[in-house]
Amino acid sequence: MTNPGMRGVRAAIALALVASVGLGPAVAQASPARAVGIVYQPIEGAGSTWSANALQQWVRNVFDNYRWKISYNDQGSSAGRQLFAQGTTDFGVSEIPYALANSDSPDPRPARQFAYIPIVAGGTAFMYNLVIGGQRVTNLRLSGETVAKIFTGVITKWNDPAIAADNPKLALPATTIVPVVRSDGSGTTAQLTAWMRAQHPAIWNAYCAKAGRSNCGITSNYPVIPGSAFLAQQGSNQVASTVAKNSSVGAITYVEASYAINARFPVAKLLNAAGFYTEPTASNVAVSLLSAVINNDPNSQEYLTANLSPVYNSKDPRVYPLSSYSYIIVPTAIEGNFTLDKGLTLADFVSYFLCEGQQQAEVLGYSPLPINLVQGGLEQAQLIPGGDPQNKNVSTCNNPTFSPDGTNKLANEAPQPQACDKKGPDQCLTGTGGASGTPTVGSGTTNLGTGGTGGGESGEDGDNSDGLGSVGDGETVGLGGGSKIVTGTPLTLDSRGIEPHVLVLMILATLVALSAVLLPPIIARRRAALALAAPVGSIPRAATQPRGSPYTRRPSMPKIHLPARFTKFGRATAPGEDS
Amino acid sequence: MEPRTDRIVIDGVSDGPRTLSSVVDRPDAVFRWIARSGGTIVVTVMTLVGLFLLIRGFEAIQFAGPAFVIEQAWDPNSGKFGIAAVFLGTVFIALTAIFFALPLSFGTALYISEYAPQRLKPFLITTVDLMAAIPSIVYGLWGFFFLSPLILPLSQWLATYIGPWFPPFAVAGFDPNDPLATPTIFSASTFIAGIVVALMVAPITSSIMREVFQQAPLGEREGALALGATKWGMITSVVIPYGRGGIIGGTMLGLGRSLGETIAVFLIISPVFVIQPQILEKGGNSISALIALRYNEASAFEISALMAAGLALFIVTLIINFGASTIVARSRSGSVGD
Repeated sequence: MTNPGMRGVRAAIALALVASVGLGPAVAQASPARAVGIVYQPIEGAGSTWSANALQQWVRNVFDNYRWKISYNDQGSSAGRQLFAQGTTDFGVSEIPYALANSDSPDPRPARQFAYIPIVAGGTAFMYNLVIGGQRVTNLRLSGETVAKIFTGVITKWNDPAIAADNPKLALPATTIVPVVRSDGSGTTAQLTAWMRAQHPAIWNAYCAKAGRSNCGITSNYPVIPGSAFLAQQGSNQVASTVAKNSSVGAITYVEASYAINARFPVAKLLNAAGFYTEPTASNVAVSLLSAVINNDPNSQEYLTANLSPVYNSKDPRVYPLSSYSYIIVPTAIEGNFTLDKGLTLADFVSYFLCEGQQQAEVLGYSPLPINLVQGGLEQAQLIPGGDPQNKNVSTCNNPTFSPDGTNKLANEAPQPQACDKKGPDQCLTGTGGASGTPTVGSGTTNLGTGGTGGGESGEDGDNSDGLGSVGDGETVGLGGGSKIVTGTPLTLDSRGIEPHVLVLMILATLVALSAVLLPPIIARRRAALALAAPVGSIPRAATQPRGSPYTRRPSMPKIHLPARFTKFGRATAPGEDS
Repeated sequence: MEPRTDRIVIDGVSDGPRTLSSVVDRPDAVFRWIARSGGTIVVTVMTLVGLFLLIRGFEAIQFAGPAFVIEQAWDPNSGKFGIAAVFLGTVFIALTAIFFALPLSFGTALYISEYAPQRLKPFLITTVDLMAAIPSIVYGLWGFFFLSPLILPLSQWLATYIGPWFPPFAVAGFDPNDPLATPTIFSASTFIAGIVVALMVAPITSSIMREVFQQAPLGEREGALALGATKWGMITSVVIPYGRGGIIGGTMLGLGRSLGETIAVFLIISPVFVIQPQILEKGGNSISALIALRYNEASAFEISALMAAGLALFIVTLIINFGASTIVARSRSGSVGD
């Protein structure tokens, strides 16, 4: 990797050359003279929160290593596209391109010239907070239809038969499902609704119509029906934090897998077309995106954008159906306040994250981009005016998905799913997402990181309706190999509610508190009145208290301050005049 | 020159009102000019802000017509939008905030002006003023991460025991008999947002009250004490009547501020576009939070609609603040004190 300082010098020399060409009569050799920026000017971008975790890490990295100042504001994909279109930001980041087909809003292409470059791949994960018998569930599995029904309010309780069918080893409680959705315009929402619209159109259209939307296309603004259990929060970070709160038992949301990993929370395994429940791991996402149809026409405005519908139904058992990648939208002309110097920073940043940056993708909870996208991205990066990216083709690129024969190394090496992940009576007990730590020997104290929670036998979860709760009776069972699982037996508890004795106690407590406040002044008044009234006999109280003051004092002996020597309480050691 | 007949003229001098003229010297003129232009600029800027909102929002208001004030949904792209839900949501949050801020700031102001030891007083005043200087995003994050999980049991208690009698505390879909009922139904509510906003407006409300309390005339205070009043008697008979204008004015200023509070509400609330008078239940909305949420991603027409919503908030806030400053100003003249 070349030193950026050197590159600065190189750029300066290039400029000097250009200058000499302009001044001297000598004719320098004709080069395809692209103007290159001279200094790394700070750039600003805004957009997707889906890819923000990776992007923010790269922004820190390039600042630490090269002092390129890049600020990135994760305000959501819609804001990213809009702010880029207005010329407010130097680059935008979005999961969906402008003017997406089947979208519910026009979202027109901006007037300024731009190109899409893939940033990072990943899976839109369903992060959830579910507790059975005091143990966090970390191995939940969901089929696509169940997910669609959960996020359209059709399934409202965790013990729904559809969820139970996906999870034969969990004794699910009758907790309300709280779907946490995005309140801002979000590319993650667009990905989810695109998937629901393609795979479960009836469910989605019914919900969308119920929510009063006139257009049931792919939407970036999730419709919420007032009065439903849905919560809407702004940004991936906030929906993830909402789910991760202890009080949010029963909540489920859709975020990039990295948010679940950061929050140390599990993600649901999603059923794919091959009949396996898979997790959005880096290798599963890499396998999934092999089926994405990528626009490979460099002249198209949508060059490098993907059609993900083949991914949804891909037959590979390792596929995670909601895999996708997001784009950075870069300017390809000097317009507005974009300059050659900004182009220098932007082009090098793109070149950095397409190659070096992808090394960290897996650790961050994403999946590195495959070679074809990196290749296309590097070509697109050269369209950025003023840029002189380090990596102009994949030969210098150090990306973990590359293999000598051009296939995706990560996808080739992706492990097949375990047998217990197949749809059927068995269910894996290992944790997922941010709760996937290795099973620790002899330690069952932490909820997270030690194997998953299993439930009771499938036949044992009885009818949990009519206000009776079912909570698992946690009981740890040692397994071969030292890992621990928890079996849950449903336990029926009496309802709490307002019981008469609680009500009586509360009223009593209120009375005691009130009397503690009100009684002292009343008693004081009465005593004062009595003290005054007593010598005079039956004179009415009002007459004895002309000023109505409650603080009239009982007459007492006046205090007379005598010198110490006249009282028996005088200080013995006091130096008196008579001593 | 013939003197007019309706005037008595003695020695050729009319007794009509003589014209008073004062000589304005240069420093005076300069000062007057600066003061005048400062005042003019403030009024001009304010008018321009209102005009700007009106011009930018006109397209949306014209499109929506009277439905703009009665429609609850907010979907400008489909032409169905109105401020009924967001405006009332703003009012509910502000009223909740004032409900908590009023006693809090009243007690604070009274303690600082009457009871606090002299050495502690400047420290307390600085602390309260410092509270006003904390950025609202900090309050918002505090409310979202710290306060809202802790307030859930209180909300649940209120909904269980007071909800059945008191409609604003009722929560649809909450069954106190269900042990597995999720407390998230109480999160992201108007109530929580209101409490956080209360903490943000309490400093300004309490400093106004404190200033007015401190202006209660010494003579009357001493008079009350000399007549045998206790300290509390003196406060109830002198300080509070004298400061009544400040209490009302400070509260109204706080109300004005809480109507416009943005980031804290934006962070806490789960936006719904329906009139939601059940303040304990999740979901609510406010105009400023709506603008913050949608501004960045809005189309041109949507921005016009947001501007129109902003105009409504601007007008209401203006009315409340003018009312407040009038009341405060009148109380300072001492005319309210009895």
